[in-house]
Amino acid sequence: MTARNAPSTESTSPAATPALEVRDIVKRFDGVLALNGVQLSVQPGEIHAVLGENGAGKSTLIKIMTGVYAPDSGEVLLDGEPVELANVRTAHRLGIVALYQELSIVPTISVAENILLGDQTPSRGGLVNWRALRKGAKLQLDRLNQRIALGRLAGDLSPVQQTMVAVARALATDARVLILDEPTASLSDLETADLFAVLRSLRDQGVAIIYVSHRLEEVFELCDRLTIMRNGETIITKRVADTTVDEVISTMVGRSQGELYPPRNTARGEAVLAVEGLNGRRVKDVSLQAFAGEVLGIGGLAGSGRSELLRLLSGAQKSSSGTISVRGVVLPHVLSVGRALAAGVALVPEERRSQGVILSAAIQENVAVANLGSVSTAGWVSSGRITDLARRTVAELQIKARGPRQPVGQLSGGNQQKVVLGKMLARRPQVLLMDEPTRGIDIGTRAEIYRLIRELVASGTTVVAVSSELPELIGISDRILIMHEGRVSGEVLAAEADDEVLLAYCYGRVA
Amino acid sequence: MVKSQLFSKASMSRDLTPILRRVMQSGTIVALLVLILVFALIRPDVFLSLGNVRNILEQVAILTIIAAAQTVVMVVGDFDLSVGTTATLSGSTTAALMLGGTPVPLSVIIGLAVGTVVGMVNGLLVAYVKLSAFVATLATMTTVGGLSFIVTNGVTLYGLPEEFYWIGQSRPLGIPMPIFFAITVALIVWVVLKFTTLGRRWYAVGGNAEVARLSGINVNGTRFLAFTVAGFASAIGGIILVSRLGSASSAGANSYMLLAIAAVFLGMTIIKSGQANLGGTLVGVGIIGVMNNGLNIVGASTYIQQVLTGLIIIAAVTLSALKKARDA
Repeated sequence: MTARNAPSTESTSPAATPALEVRDIVKRFDGVLALNGVQLSVQPGEIHAVLGENGAGKSTLIKIMTGVYAPDSGEVLLDGEPVELANVRTAHRLGIVALYQELSIVPTISVAENILLGDQTPSRGGLVNWRALRKGAKLQLDRLNQRIALGRLAGDLSPVQQTMVAVARALATDARVLILDEPTASLSDLETADLFAVLRSLRDQGVAIIYVSHRLEEVFELCDRLTIMRNGETIITKRVADTTVDEVISTMVGRSQGELYPPRNTARGEAVLAVEGLNGRRVKDVSLQAFAGEVLGIGGLAGSGRSELLRLLSGAQKSSSGTISVRGVVLPHVLSVGRALAAGVALVPEERRSQGVILSAAIQENVAVANLGSVSTAGWVSSGRITDLARRTVAELQIKARGPRQPVGQLSGGNQQKVVLGKMLARRPQVLLMDEPTRGIDIGTRAEIYRLIRELVASGTTVVAVSSELPELIGISDRILIMHEGRVSGEVLAAEADDEVLLAYCYGRVA
Repeated sequence: MVKSQLFSKASMSRDLTPILRRVMQSGTIVALLVLILVFALIRPDVFLSLGNVRNILEQVAILTIIAAAQTVVMVVGDFDLSVGTTATLSGSTTAALMLGGTPVPLSVIIGLAVGTVVGMVNGLLVAYVKLSAFVATLATMTTVGGLSFIVTNGVTLYGLPEEFYWIGQSRPLGIPMPIFFAITVALIVWVVLKFTTLGRRWYAVGGNAEVARLSGINVNGTRFLAFTVAGFASAIGGIILVSRLGSASSAGANSYMLLAIAAVFLGMTIIKSGQANLGGTLVGVGIIGVMNNGLNIVGASTYIQQVLTGLIIIAAVTLSALKKARDA
């Protein structure tokens, strides 16, 4: 075991100068510590994995290494020399390039133009030199051993080909440090193997590669060393050969839970929600039951289908097959949000600001939008009933606001979330679906929402909650289902669950 | 230093927000009052006379109807470039039918139906085919504009039946009939927007379509209906225009589209949330109407009127944009 803050002691060849090194990086956002003394050192000719749970600080670290954010303190060294990464262009010019899945190519122009984009485009007197462009682009693709027609539109390529084009572009700018963030998220196994072959050949050409992924199997197959982050700190750096998947998982985990969560004191009643063979885009053949007086937690990695499952159940997204029933009544196969609400299923969506509330509208308008039936008679709304309903919601959920007419955009995130919750609770749902019930909310309001969930369940409501934070998932649930690649990969009683078991299910490993 | 303060948005919103907000919120109404005052001072004998006030109201009656149609679409967060040519097509279809011997009531009903169908096509393209409102209504604007030429053979249609003139030229209580129609349409639109669940749905979709959808609102149907209503209301405006003029030309009402959008934009600046609203639209219509009438009275050329109308649109859009930027 290596002591924290001294990860470089295990470097593969201590004599070599790291291609990229960050030292003691601290970064705060609005006073909240995002990175706390982060250390990372990547050698030329090395593939180095950065691992950690959601919120561990991986994305922030990448953004500091690529000049998106400036660190509050600490330094970035390139070939042993301190550098100031004022912006993305500077980092790019110095040879540090990050590839993001969705941002890496311009879909509407040709492959060749994508590879030699912007300053790299060969030109004479302002005119593009097409011959040189094709030649230069082909050179980079040859380095990667790729045969992609140079004239094709990049948008028509398969995901792996697009990634290859992005890598080729990075090489064209003489990238010496390549950062890949979840590059295999949309690739098949075969394509992944193809990408790995290219990455290995780049490593052998001396490129330093930082590889961020949730998929531990891939890390163990591809990478030379790994660094684990937790709560904004780098915990340990190890040679991949010297560790195991289980050790990595237990290092990624490990926090105290505190007294945030109310006790599970509700008795489970009869089955309320029953799902049979539900299929969507990612969700594959999911069957489940949720009971009265129960919080059913749904976990899984991003992209595992956990959010889509809630969207399918709420009618926000159409399912391709399967049945959903509430207390034995089968919901219409072509489900809409309106129909699901009528059947007693309500969704508190994942993205509060873009899906939950109309920011410019008053609290009472936001509550009314989901309750038009109860505030109107034969199509005529009663502004008195709208205000009454909003007042009740504000009082019941203890929303801190000047009054029901205050625009929601002026409220704090936690109070906005209460408005979303309140407008759905006013429908008196039998099944309340909550996607990330406390994302981006202060700790005090979180505790209130947890207590509220328990009260709802005590009064007979069934709550199904998705959370990407394992402590929250364990803390609020009675029972937890974990999803992996669209399927339910495990079921655990929350009282018996611990992070390690859940993470193992998340990664599709049978515990 | 001075320059940077002047041009830095941050400092502007910090220092000037309260004043700026007040001026902008009442600014549009103040502008209307100032216009009235200026013209009243220049030509005190003419401008505020009963006859001229009646003139102004008659002149803006049709714009009011078409701007009300535009308001509905803009409440939903879209806009409709085809309201002008739709009005023209409805009016000229009605005229052509009457000249061909079709009874007046039936001709009017068919004219209204034509406008409604155009609105439904817009709604279909935007809500269900998911074209952008700009592309879809630009296309229908062009198509419908061409159809008007076909219907009229490119000539102005005269000699309409006498009983048809009741719609646009009769004067119950000495007040021109189009004013009654304009008040009725404006009142209905205001009531629907303000007091019905449909109005709430329209505003919710305009506020944030995804939030509305996840709250159980049929967003596609709601948008479709808004365009349909706009088509219907535009048809009313177009038919009244033909009756008032006593003739139908192949492009008679086309120019109302831009004026209607300008009026709605002007109206959006008078409420805090910056949404389209009927009261504001009426103020916008008032500004355009008073300015055109006043410039006529002082003898300014129609060219100058056109330039000033353009400048007003710029001012309105700028005010709206500033409001939005500040709210963001």
